[in-house]
Amino acid sequence: MKPLLDVIRMIWAAAPGTMAKGALLSLATLLAGVALLGLSGWFITATGVAGLMGIGIAFDVFRPSAGVRLLALGRAASRYGERLLTHDATLRALSALRVTLLRRRMQDSWEALGRLRPGPALTRLTADVDALDGTVLRLALPLAAGTSTVLLAGAGLWWLTHWSLALTIVAVQGGGSAVLLRRLGRRSVPASIRAERRGQALLRGTVSTLRGQIDLAVHGGLAGRLRLLLGRAEKLDLAAARLDRMAERADAGLSAVTTLAVALLVALGGWLVQAGTLTAAQAAIPVFAALGLHEALAMMRPGMSGMGAMADAARRVFGAAEPSGGTGPSAPDPPGTGLVLHGIGHARPGAAAPVLEAVSLEVRPGETVALTGPSGRGKSTLLQIAAGLLSADRGEVLLCGLPLADWPEPALRGRLAFLPQRSMLLAGTVMENLALARDGLSRGEADAVLAAVALDGPLAERGGADARLGEGGAGLSGGEARRLSLARALLRRPAVLLLDEPTEGLDRATAERVLHGIRTALPEAAILCAAHREAERLWADKVFPL
Amino acid sequence: MSNADPLLPRLTRATAGGLRRAGLWRLGGELLWPVQAACLAMAIGGWVSGAGPLHSAALAAGFLAAGLLRSVLEARAARLAGETAEAAVAGLRRDLLAAETARLDRALSSGAFAALAVQKLPSLKRYLARYRPARMRVAAVAPVLLLLSLWCSWAVALILAVAGPLIPVFMALVGMAAKEASQKQMAEIGSLNTLLTDRLAMLQDIRLLDAGGRTERDFGTRADALRQRTMEVLRIAFLSSTVLELFSAIGVAMVAVYVGFSLLGELRFGAWATPLTLQEGIFVLLLAPSFFQPLRDLAAAWHDQAEARAVAEEIDALMDGAAAPIPGGIARAAPLPGPASLAFRDVRLMRGGHEVAVPDFAAAPGELVVLSGPSGRGKSSALMAAMGLIPVASGEIEAAGRPLGEDTAAGWRARIAWLPQAIHVPDQSLAAFLDPKGKGGVDKALARSASAEVVARLPGGLAARLGESGAGLSGGEARRLLLARAVAMKADLVIADEPTADLDAGTAAAVIATLESLAAEGRTVIAASHDSALIAAADREVPL
Repeated sequence: MKPLLDVIRMIWAAAPGTMAKGALLSLATLLAGVALLGLSGWFITATGVAGLMGIGIAFDVFRPSAGVRLLALGRAASRYGERLLTHDATLRALSALRVTLLRRRMQDSWEALGRLRPGPALTRLTADVDALDGTVLRLALPLAAGTSTVLLAGAGLWWLTHWSLALTIVAVQGGGSAVLLRRLGRRSVPASIRAERRGQALLRGTVSTLRGQIDLAVHGGLAGRLRLLLGRAEKLDLAAARLDRMAERADAGLSAVTTLAVALLVALGGWLVQAGTLTAAQAAIPVFAALGLHEALAMMRPGMSGMGAMADAARRVFGAAEPSGGTGPSAPDPPGTGLVLHGIGHARPGAAAPVLEAVSLEVRPGETVALTGPSGRGKSTLLQIAAGLLSADRGEVLLCGLPLADWPEPALRGRLAFLPQRSMLLAGTVMENLALARDGLSRGEADAVLAAVALDGPLAERGGADARLGEGGAGLSGGEARRLSLARALLRRPAVLLLDEPTEGLDRATAERVLHGIRTALPEAAILCAAHREAERLWADKVFPL
Repeated sequence: MSNADPLLPRLTRATAGGLRRAGLWRLGGELLWPVQAACLAMAIGGWVSGAGPLHSAALAAGFLAAGLLRSVLEARAARLAGETAEAAVAGLRRDLLAAETARLDRALSSGAFAALAVQKLPSLKRYLARYRPARMRVAAVAPVLLLLSLWCSWAVALILAVAGPLIPVFMALVGMAAKEASQKQMAEIGSLNTLLTDRLAMLQDIRLLDAGGRTERDFGTRADALRQRTMEVLRIAFLSSTVLELFSAIGVAMVAVYVGFSLLGELRFGAWATPLTLQEGIFVLLLAPSFFQPLRDLAAAWHDQAEARAVAEEIDALMDGAAAPIPGGIARAAPLPGPASLAFRDVRLMRGGHEVAVPDFAAAPGELVVLSGPSGRGKSSALMAAMGLIPVASGEIEAAGRPLGEDTAAGWRARIAWLPQAIHVPDQSLAAFLDPKGKGGVDKALARSASAEVVARLPGGLAARLGESGAGLSGGEARRLLLARAVAMKADLVIADEPTADLDAGTAAAVIATLESLAAEGRTVIAASHDSALIAAADREVPL
């Protein structure tokens, strides 16, 4: 329950003034509803008595009937205001929460980012956050306003009528409902967590089956996967049905509790009127008020049956590890230049054989070093270590003379750029993709960098930097996408540039043009390049075999 | 499946019986309310006329009995409606999953389809279980209560009859504005999700480009735009429910005021021959809120209806654009007997809306055949057709000496090992991935494809779980694992898509040698490639 309380506190804290006003209006709405019915019941009974006694002329009809109209209109208006205020405050808080969550995601470790499955991560940021909107709107506010309404109505009725009638409302109607709602809350938590888990399992299974569909179809696994999915769907339906049944039983229970309370109030009222303790009109007030209170009690039910799903979503959203916390913000004053790797050794956790053993090399400004060797020898791993994305088990990396660990993240990325083997592009224009690399990118700079990576020709017909790309950069060939990613890295104007097979998928002539373009664009950069093509090896000043 | 019969009417018909029964239970419950109201009215009337506590107690018992029965009937109705809707929607989900699993080339991305089948379908359930019954209640309960009020007082009936129908009129007006606003909101949600999916897929790049701040700002702006759109929708929705509450509150208040003035004798119209009694007054006052309740329920379920319509349209569109199911179905079949030979004759294929011709070729056991040519010429489509996954537009494919079609495709596929270009790892261990048919011999296959060292470097070795697109593996490592899997399957036919793309010369040579050795063992090996080294190693090149 703690994450749930955290969420409620967070949503409330985002706009406490608005929320407080909303909560007061919510209470006012419920009280007006109870008062409207109570006053109407009193008014009719009292007029009936006056009519029978023939003293109708003396009866003051105007104040009660004005009260009835005021309560009716006031209730509608205050409900409108309450909903607007509380929803606006909640949506603001959730939209800020989404931004915070994305930021936290972005601070995950390099490997975690690579393992990230966009589907579930998107669910965290959208569906889970959406599920939290009910924590205040459907759970906290109705509980608080409903409970206060029962207590205030009880106090009012004690003052207006008789303590026994007030006690019946608070103890039988309020207490009975509290028992039912508490039981519902306790039972629905595990049930709605189960339903949510099963839904996620079905979602994941469906996506994974369809993505691997060709593979599964050829290898005969598709029918088995379908059976698995249908089994998961059935389990999900069972869990959802169980939740629905609980909600239906709780609704029936709540209406039975109100019925019981009203019946008791009628029986007690008859006795009190006969005893002369109360007038008939006074005794009618609690009967009608109890009928009006049912709304306040029924309103708590949806929040209680959804509490489990909310708590689960809150746990997923808030349970994520806190960010590691960036290092100091001040940019260091580097004592040296270039890139030095010293005695680097690395093995993947749990793996039998190390990937890298005691690798030492240096790249000076303006120098290009090619890393060579068959795939699997750790070229990419070494580049990731040099880029500060992976920490080596042994050894040290010095960027401009300072160990990587001493570089704050933004300053590090300002000095060092890395083109990994796989990079992704955005749906949007080429310009938008380039603008990821730098704020305030001018059109001239964009055109220049596109020319440097030999993309000016292929894009010319499609509008150059204005060319539109589809989802994930669709519309560009593999080689063109690679060069666009390279252009982004060049735009960072790094002192140290790390390249992982930069000319993969390019023909020889284009490859040579691109390599020449890189050096021309960054004459002073220290370049370390994982190479398996002759063109890349020839381009380098030094070759370092792994 | 075709769109001749749209989903929503079909579902409505399928659930009509169950929902009608639920409606009758519910109606039975609702009609007990006038009984309860009469008990209360008589009890309070008794207090005024001095009927004594026993009279009150007896009527309270009557009120209690009718009320408890009403709760039972209504719970029963809710359960029946819920179960009917659940069964219909569960059946629909089964059909959708079965249809989508059995065909390639879907109109929706896998994520969008999964969201439709898992997260959006429940809105159809709510529509069936809440909106339809609420509509029935408006039609059945409101007129009964109106008649009962009319029996006591025509003026009260008139108040209700005027206030009641105004509600749907205003709701419809507001509903039109709501629809437009909610379409804008949906569009905003869609574009926010696209933005997020794109950004989440490239978080590594964002880190390298130090673009976190820019991404956050973009996203913050869009999230705020979504909030504003959502508030526009909510404002309209709240306005509509306020209009409704206002009318029902004014209706109830007018009834109360009218009854009060009549009882005082100040209003002498509206009742029938005799003036309104106190009992009648209380009775009509208690009926008034119940008259408006079904209308309020209907308004509350209005959103369910709009949502369900959108989901149903999406499903209809999905089913309408149906691609042909995979020939031979998805069930496992016994391997087709005969030599693992393949021949294409005059084959034309439909791919992306246009026809591609595939030159005639044949491949026999022991041969390595390479389909060559630049990308976009239909090499991959030809491989799909060779595996019997897509039907031919014209011409014939002969597999194991028989025409490849509905009755032979599944048996043919049972003899094939497929080596795709990109790795896709389902959420399972590497060991399970490498041995999909449970034949064993993974270690030997790893050694043969020079990938034992790849596994040794992975955390947990064969028990490792990889990212969906093989994160933690380089391109070359992923390819070697796929080759190991193809070897482990001991299939008669190995079909490979660009097996040497993105590999360094040494690894590419090892992959080619393994493919050659598979052919040398008497297997049929077919690859699509434009790699000159692989083409040189082939027994035959088929240029596309």
